[in-house]
Order: sequence, then structure tokens, then C-alpha cells
Amino acid sequence: MRSDPAEYDLVAPANLQAAVSLLANEPDRWLPIAGGTDLMVQFAAGTLRARNLISISRLPELRRIEAFAEEIEIGAGCTYSDIRKHESVQREFPMLAKAASWTGGIANQNRGTLGGNIVNASPAADSLPALLVYGAELILVSVRGERRVLYSTFHTGYKKLTLAADELIRAVCLPRRFTGYVSYTRKVGTRNAQAVSKVCMAALARLEIGAIHDARIALGSVAPTPIRLTETERLLDRKPLDPSLVRLASRTAVAEVQPIDDIRSTARYRGAVVGNLVTEFLEKLGGTQRMRSVALDRWNGLPMDEAEKEILPCCGSRAWARSMAARRPFSDENSVLAASDETWRSLGEQDWMEAFAHHPRIGESLAAPSATARSAAWSSQEQSDAAAAGDAVKIALREGNGEYERRFGRTFIICATGKSGSEILQILRHRLQNDDRTEIREAAEQQRQISQIRLRKWLQG
Amino acid sequence: MTKTGAQCQISLTVNGEPRTVRAYPMERLLDVLRQQLGLTGTKEGCGEGECGACSVMMDGALVDSCLVPILQAQGAKVVTIEGLDQDSRARALQQSFLEYGGAQCGICTPGMILAAVHLLREKPEPGMDDIRQGLAGNLCRCTGYVQIFEAVAAAARRGVGR
Repeated sequence: MRSDPAEYDLVAPANLQAAVSLLANEPDRWLPIAGGTDLMVQFAAGTLRARNLISISRLPELRRIEAFAEEIEIGAGCTYSDIRKHESVQREFPMLAKAASWTGGIANQNRGTLGGNIVNASPAADSLPALLVYGAELILVSVRGERRVLYSTFHTGYKKLTLAADELIRAVCLPRRFTGYVSYTRKVGTRNAQAVSKVCMAALARLEIGAIHDARIALGSVAPTPIRLTETERLLDRKPLDPSLVRLASRTAVAEVQPIDDIRSTARYRGAVVGNLVTEFLEKLGGTQRMRSVALDRWNGLPMDEAEKEILPCCGSRAWARSMAARRPFSDENSVLAASDETWRSLGEQDWMEAFAHHPRIGESLAAPSATARSAAWSSQEQSDAAAAGDAVKIALREGNGEYERRFGRTFIICATGKSGSEILQILRHRLQNDDRTEIREAAEQQRQISQIRLRKWLQG
Repeated sequence: MTKTGAQCQISLTVNGEPRTVRAYPMERLLDVLRQQLGLTGTKEGCGEGECGACSVMMDGALVDSCLVPILQAQGAKVVTIEGLDQDSRARALQQSFLEYGGAQCGICTPGMILAAVHLLREKPEPGMDDIRQGLAGNLCRCTGYVQIFEAVAAAARRGVGR
């Protein structure tokens, strides 16, 4: 039964201040309405309980997209069309732009707003998984001022939000920190437009030295709210991507969701789709890994001297580089890594010394004179954790380096990736106790590890 | 039931003409167009933003007029199917809908034409995917869509988008 418009009131304040003042004076009386793509449907069906509505669709304060150094701020009143057409959003937050393009049809996208999608709090809303994986924060405004909340803590239960009755969402902030991530998003529904999703997923991760880092997977339509797959994410963290991990992740994801049977789908089907989407995401991630072996194919085809020169910064020993270039072609990353270890162990002490001489002292940014630019850049990456050490540790490291050089006549070599300054200091003090024979083997082992890490980075381009 | 709101005066431009109506602020733009202004080319299908039969342009954007409370159209420029009779894109689309069998019962046709005009304004040379997406919010229960997509593609080929 359609509602009678005579029983409703709607007012249009001229600006945001006037809107929040109305809400503050009678917080339980007013319901904000923006594009009306949800509330006007309730109105038509005779189920819109609120009788007094505040139109916020034309508040200029809510209709801006601003790019700051650290984040992009999307006004809560921006429509899906505003979002899907915005260049920075398309480039940096493609999954949100994509979700906007799936919402309703063009006419709905011209009216429906991101803020409205959030407060409507449907577990099936297409934009919400993207907001979850991008770590969106909301700016809430009232006459009391503004506060920021993480979207992930804002939507607390089925249609439940931590939004006070006198508050409006002013903006949605997305941190600009996902450069280099692989993203994957997919809506599974009867059709993309005008159909509510059976399952919708947004996922992000980056690959570093062949391992998965910071995997972020969110799903809609499988629980009372959009959810992150925290167990699956934990399982994937820092693991090399291989088929057995993909299978395990897919099973973990299925166990982690609580879908229901409803008019659009069944719990069983939704569960199966979740497993398949996680698999597809990880296969896409793996595809980018395989694509990167393009770098290997190119190197396989280079003339001998160029191939030597290119691989040299991974180790620093010319004999090693010559041997690696001579062993081409390599079929994959693993065979390159295995050949490197074999070659390294077959070399003499003089060759090892040559490699050691390419490294700067730990705790010093100054590159060794013989280091290539690439090797120097890698050194500073490898030492980034150590560089964060406090002054006391840095001074102790400098003293330790000096003692080591007086004792062994060369630079102290350690595979510094992931090690803090104080860890390195402890290892350095321990190794000062070694005899010459043990210590050169230890240094060679450290160089072997450094070469492995550098080769993986090099192969990934 | 108690009466909550009072009628208000709304001024808007419809098909280029300034119009003023008295209406309750939550009255739907669709009803004002059809009942007060006699513009019955805009159809009501589902009444919930799913079918696109009530499509109109509001300030240049395609919208479903069943989801627009009239207060939100205060000061807006609204164009309905009647307002497109001199529009070169709409006329070319009308011709190609005839040629390709893009209209049968006719209920969806005004909305389809509005959505197609909106598409060709934004993308003068749309591919088939663009056409499918541009018309995805407009449902047709007669044609099976293919004739409609072909009609829009033909109109675009003739250069009406430019």
C-alpha cells in the first residue's frame, strides 16, 4: 500500500550546519534522506516509518572529493556516478569505482550516495567490502563537532551502526597506501545491474620476495554485516603462494563465513562461491608472479657480457656472475636460486671477499666504492629495519664494526633484511668470538642469503 | 492519521518552461509530472527504481522520477520524453527504434530513449558493452533487448552522439 505524502514532512536545509542543528534539536524526529534510492522505495511500499525527513542531497559540503597527501576524502553525499568517474578513485581505489558501477543502473548511480549506502547498512551492499579492505575511515559530524571512526568498527551488527541520532556521515577517507598491491573484486549475482549480490568480494594483497603480504579479503552477503576473512588473511600472511596454500585458503574461507538461504541464493551455493572467489583471487595474485618471470625470459636472451653485468648486483662476485650467465637459460625462479647457491659454494675465498666488498658497513648509508647503484639501493632497503635503531644501538654498532674490521680485516657481513639494530648488534658480538675459519664461512652463508633475497627481487623486476 | 507536512510551492523548469506547482514535499516527481503537468509520456512501472520506465533527466542526469521527492526538484531543470521531440539524438533514436523493432508494447520506450540519449551524450561512440551498461537500469519484457541495443548502436553509427 503506497504511502500518503500528506502524512510526511520533508525539509531542505541550506547547508550542513543547518542540517546538523535540526538533528541536534530533535534527534529522534528527523531522518536524513539523500538520493532516496532506499528510502523512497520504502515510501512507495508504505513501510517508511520516519515521518519527518531532512533532505541532504544538495548540501555542497557533502559533495566533494578531495585528494590529500595521505588520503582521499570522499564526501558522503557523492553519488556512485561521481565516484566511478573520479580519476584518482579509479586509479588508486579501483574496487570502489567498480562497486559503484555495479550498484543499481545509471539512474540509481546518479542519485544514490556512498554515505547512504553505508547508513542503509545492507549486508549485501556492493561498496562496503571495498571500504573494508581499503581501511576506510568515516568522518561523523554533529553540532558537537567531528569524530573519526574506522568503518570496520562502525557497522556492528545486522543494520546496526555506531552513529548517534544527531550525527551525519560527512566524508569517507581512504588511505593512499595501496600502490603495488594486486586487487581483485567480483560481484556474483543474477546480473550486475539492478540485482542484489549473492556474494560480493573485494581483496587486496602484495607479493614480496614471492610471499604474500598484507592480504585483505572482505565479503558481502555472507554474514549479518560485510566481513573481513581474518583467519584466511592470517593463514596467507608471509607464505609463499603455491597450490596447496590456495586450496587451504579456499577451505578456510568457506569455514569462516555464515551465509544464509534467502530469496536470492542458498547458504550452500554462497559457501561454494566464497571458496571459488578466494581461489580466483589467489590465482590472479599468482598470475602476476608468473608474469614477472618475463624478466627472467629477457635475461635468458641477453648477450653474455650484458647478462653478467645485470645479475652482478645480486651478489657482487664477478666469477659468480659469469658462472650464472653461462648456466642460462633458466626455466624458472627456483632453478636460478638453486644455481646461485651451487655456484656460490664452489667459489674460492678471493671471490667471496670480492662480494663482501660490495656492502656498506651495517648502520652506514655510504655505499662501498665498488657497489653498483642497484646494489647500494638494495643495501639501504635491507638495512631499513636496522636504520630505525636508537642512537645508543647505532653507536654500539659503529664500535662493533670497527672491532670486527680490526679483527678480521674486512666488513662485517650479515643478511640484515628483517633484523633490528639490536638483533644485529647481538649477532655481531657473538661472531666476534669466532675463529677465522668459522667466521669466513659464516660471512659466506650470510652473503648466500643476501643473494637469494636480491635474486628474488631482481626476478620480480 | 495526523497530517504532518503542509503543501509547498515548487518552482522548476520542465522541458524548458518554468513551472510552479503546489505539492506535498514528499510527492514523487513522477506523480507531479503525470498528474499536475499532464506529461504522461513518463510511465510508472515498478515504482521502486528497478525498471527505468519513469526515467527523466534532472539537471542533465538520468534519474528515476519515482524516487525523487518533489522538494528535491526545487529549482531543477527537468526534461521528459515530451521535451525531446526536437532533440536530434532522440529523433534519430526514434527512427532506429522503428527500423530495428526496438519498441513493442511501448511502456519501456520513453525510458529507453531517455537512457540512450544520456548514454550518447556521455559516450558518442559507445561499444556494445557501453550500450548494455547504459541501458542496464531499463527493463523491457517484450523485445529481449537485442533489437533495442542494435537500434542504439545504429543511431550511434549514424553519428547522432556527436
